[in-house]
Amino acid sequence: MKITEDIKISDNGFVFNSRTGDSFNLNPFALELMKNIEAEKSFDQIKAEVMEKYDIDDLSFEKDFYEFCALLKHHQIVLQDNPLDFK
Amino acid sequence: MNKQKITLAVTGLNNTDNPGPGVPFIRGIKESEAFDARIIGLVYENLEPGIYMENLCDRIFQIPYPSSGSDELIERIENIHQQEQIDVLIPNLDAELFSFMKNEGRLRSRGIQTFLPNLKQFQEREKDKLPEFGKKYDIKVPGSINMSTLGQIKDLEDKYDYPVMIKGQFYDAYVAHNEEQAKQAFHTIASKWGFPVIAQEFVKGTEVNVIALGDGKGNTIAAVPMRKQYITDKGKAWGGITLADEKMMELTRSIISKTKWKGGMELELIKTNGGEYYLIEINPRVPAWVYLAVGAGQNIPEALVKLALGMDVQAMTKYKIGKMFVRYSYDAIVDLEKFAAISMNKEI
Repeated sequence: MKITEDIKISDNGFVFNSRTGDSFNLNPFALELMKNIEAEKSFDQIKAEVMEKYDIDDLSFEKDFYEFCALLKHHQIVLQDNPLDFK
Repeated sequence: MNKQKITLAVTGLNNTDNPGPGVPFIRGIKESEAFDARIIGLVYENLEPGIYMENLCDRIFQIPYPSSGSDELIERIENIHQQEQIDVLIPNLDAELFSFMKNEGRLRSRGIQTFLPNLKQFQEREKDKLPEFGKKYDIKVPGSINMSTLGQIKDLEDKYDYPVMIKGQFYDAYVAHNEEQAKQAFHTIASKWGFPVIAQEFVKGTEVNVIALGDGKGNTIAAVPMRKQYITDKGKAWGGITLADEKMMELTRSIISKTKWKGGMELELIKTNGGEYYLIEINPRVPAWVYLAVGAGQNIPEALVKLALGMDVQAMTKYKIGKMFVRYSYDAIVDLEKFAAISMNKEI
């Protein structure tokens, strides 16, 4: 899963898709996830870091993370050829 | 660099909630590094806001509507020319373009230059000829039927699923979700704009637009794609943002190259969720959001005036992505004398 070249992410959480003109506001946690995806960290690595930092069980994290990724894909923020590929 | 002094006449100063492109066009010219322009504003109504805007026009003249006859309009232009020696005339409204195109030679012989599409280019992109245009130039367009009787609405269901767009030949468009709504829209449009009333297949997606300038030889001199961010109830952009969309640029270059388009234009497109582009309309002039292109780095008004004067213009290929425009309304306080002058003398 890769963030497309058209996406610009500001440090304050403002996301702009220059191809579609869409813009989004991320909350601090979503921004943290986006930065991790942008850094091309693996799903396992992101999960480990989040579980270390926050009080969350792994099932809830996986569910929320997949939902978040589906949203990113829907809004053409990420490219994901294989729907099960979150690496 | 020494700026060239010119006298430029511009129409479309109606900066209302359905704005003409005149005021933003003049703003572009005022920022030009090539021209020091004396601006002649040509208006149809005495309350067009451009008349009252400070530091916009040097002179204002009221001109007759083209509906009162092309000759009357052109004679008035010739009369103004005797006073002001117009170098370039930029008409900005759809309804007047035909008269100016038809009289291009007459105006040129008086020393007034224009840079307009020819009659063939103008007519083949008309809304009721869009399917033929799409076929000829290999561009996806929505299916459409030209309707001249109410009875044809009954047949719509066999051809398209509702919703269907019901459009006037020159202006106005309604989304009809069923036969009743289609009939209602048919009556409204027919009474205002006449026939044919166009029923167009509804293409689901995002509306995107391109402002472009063709040199008449097939070259794209300027092109900037935009998405409307805020749309008024009249469907006008009240805010927009420039996009990085190579497919839209390719499509624009292809249309200009194949049609050898001369002058300014606006392409109205629908981008489907599947990433396909459908052409829904070509406006044969620059749109009211032309100043966004200037702000993004392509001074289209300046390039258009240069082309009209027969100057060489290099194609502009770069623009700033993510530049926005936000339109606003503003109450100008004006003295009665100005209103009286334009009302009584037809000039200021």
